[in-house]
Amino acid sequence: MHMSDALLSATVGVTMTAASAGAIGHSIRKITKFEMDEKKIPMMGVMGAFVFAAQMINFTIPVTGSSGHIGGGILLAALLGPYHALITIASVLLIQCLFFADGGLLALGCNIFNMGVLPCLVAYPLIFRPIVRKAMTKKRITAASVLAVVIGLQVGSLAVVLQTQASGITELPFLSFVALMQPIHLAIGAVEGLVTAAVLCFIYQMRSEILESAMRDSSVNGIPVKKVLVILSLAAVLTGGFLSAYASANPDGLEWSIAGVTGEAELEGDSGLHAMIAGIQEKAALLPDYAFKAESAENSMFGDAAETVGTSVSGIAGGLVTMAAAVLTGALISRLKKRRNTEAAA
Amino acid sequence: MQDIKSSISQMNALELSAQKNTIIHRLQAPVKIITTVIYLLIIISYGQGQVSRLIPCFFYPAVVMALGEIPFKTIAGRLLIALPFSLFAGISNLMFSRETAFILGGIAVTAGMVSFASIMLKTALCVTAVLILIATTDMNGLAYGMLSLRVPPVIVTQIMLTYRYIGVIAEEASVMRHAYLLRAPNEKGIRMKDMGAFLGQLIIRSFDRSERIYNAMKCRGYEGRIAYSDREKISLKGWAYITVTSVFFLLLRFVNVSALVGSLFL
Repeated sequence: MHMSDALLSATVGVTMTAASAGAIGHSIRKITKFEMDEKKIPMMGVMGAFVFAAQMINFTIPVTGSSGHIGGGILLAALLGPYHALITIASVLLIQCLFFADGGLLALGCNIFNMGVLPCLVAYPLIFRPIVRKAMTKKRITAASVLAVVIGLQVGSLAVVLQTQASGITELPFLSFVALMQPIHLAIGAVEGLVTAAVLCFIYQMRSEILESAMRDSSVNGIPVKKVLVILSLAAVLTGGFLSAYASANPDGLEWSIAGVTGEAELEGDSGLHAMIAGIQEKAALLPDYAFKAESAENSMFGDAAETVGTSVSGIAGGLVTMAAAVLTGALISRLKKRRNTEAAA
Repeated sequence: MQDIKSSISQMNALELSAQKNTIIHRLQAPVKIITTVIYLLIIISYGQGQVSRLIPCFFYPAVVMALGEIPFKTIAGRLLIALPFSLFAGISNLMFSRETAFILGGIAVTAGMVSFASIMLKTALCVTAVLILIATTDMNGLAYGMLSLRVPPVIVTQIMLTYRYIGVIAEEASVMRHAYLLRAPNEKGIRMKDMGAFLGQLIIRSFDRSERIYNAMKCRGYEGRIAYSDREKISLKGWAYITVTSVFFLLLRFVNVSALVGSLFL
């Protein structure tokens, strides 16, 4: 479920980074305001490492013969409280992105939102907590874990679909994408939910005070459900607004509006600065009027500047040459450095 | 077990590479973080199907990897693991957009093929850029870099602690798994029904360990927050590096280098 940079548009990446940063900032304020236990800091660190270790251990799923691993959002929220859990998950995701190329750096905001904010700040307070708070029994813990994990994962995978669609990099139609993602994550969620339930029941049996202290976490009581929903829908509207503004900024729209303003399709450019720049451009470009015109051209299929027949052949040839040049430059520098290092050593 | 060992050795390889002393390693961490983010933003700003325009962007990883003496193998191995995710997403483009984009040597190249190629290229470039950052910056440097970029200290402490204890907890898990498999020689992995007790046990051990860590920290004067030295300011040299690389990236973005080079030959 980790999103990568390559499938993301800058708008979506920046918007989701802002959303996740906001949620994390809110969590930090809550933690420092209600900080009752300085022991929590090393505990969060060790539990972050635990999530790593737990994800490395695959278990065998009966009947199917396949293997799975846990995600950990709800588990951490039940053990540490939602705000501590969100910060722990965020740091785990950052390390995964840096060291294991699991999810991109610009996509970190999306990933924290989908796998941290949604389970910890939405599924946990709305589903897990109300069920378990009434009475802590194994049955209730099991029901709460399965429900919270399944719903958290469904919302999360839906968010992945929405973010990918909003980015517009893949051509997969929305409905097929949803039809692909949701059932898979329903199955994953069911397995993960059962394992989470088993773990929490074990902890409840061995060390019930861990769960009870997380449940007592007074900072959580104040989560206003309405406020959360209002903020989420505001974020959705805002994102939508951003995206439509972005989408309408394509060249055709711009040309149309220029035509509307000036009454001509293209701005007259023979006076002053524009002419000068155009002149320089003609001189500087090896193939004047070629790279630029051909690209801004008719082919609106890809949005800005797609490979058209004109650019493609020289583009491909040039690309290959450029690629070779890049590799050669790298090799040359390496060679020079190696020689200098051996000389220095001698 | 292989999972755990290979993950840990991957982290060690990157950490080892970060200990070197080259011109790239000597750059301040925030400088490298800013440059990487600018590069990533430039890469993802390319439209779909701009394959030949993306290729010149390989100059950055090629040059920095050479200057930073980053072993190619470390990066390539990670890249192979990261590519399948994009492969999956990219394949849908192959299936869904079959309009011919252009014809090359009698073969019709579809729009899907072009956008598929651009997704794969983007993945390679983005993953490499992030790995380069981590292979030339050690974790302490990264932590101070984050602090000077105004990341809250709570988060930085959290990241550092998690990073430090991954090895320890993973080792613990690996020992437990070993013991489990010795008791159950016919099992390939841990059975799902035993997973509750297994992970639960690991959690209790982790909690106990964090208690000991807390005591040790307390003995050394910990009072709820970790003291960090003053934020490092970005030097003039650092700003110069950021400016030069950014101008270079922008040039690549707005000048079609591939077409220019191609037109020299054709």
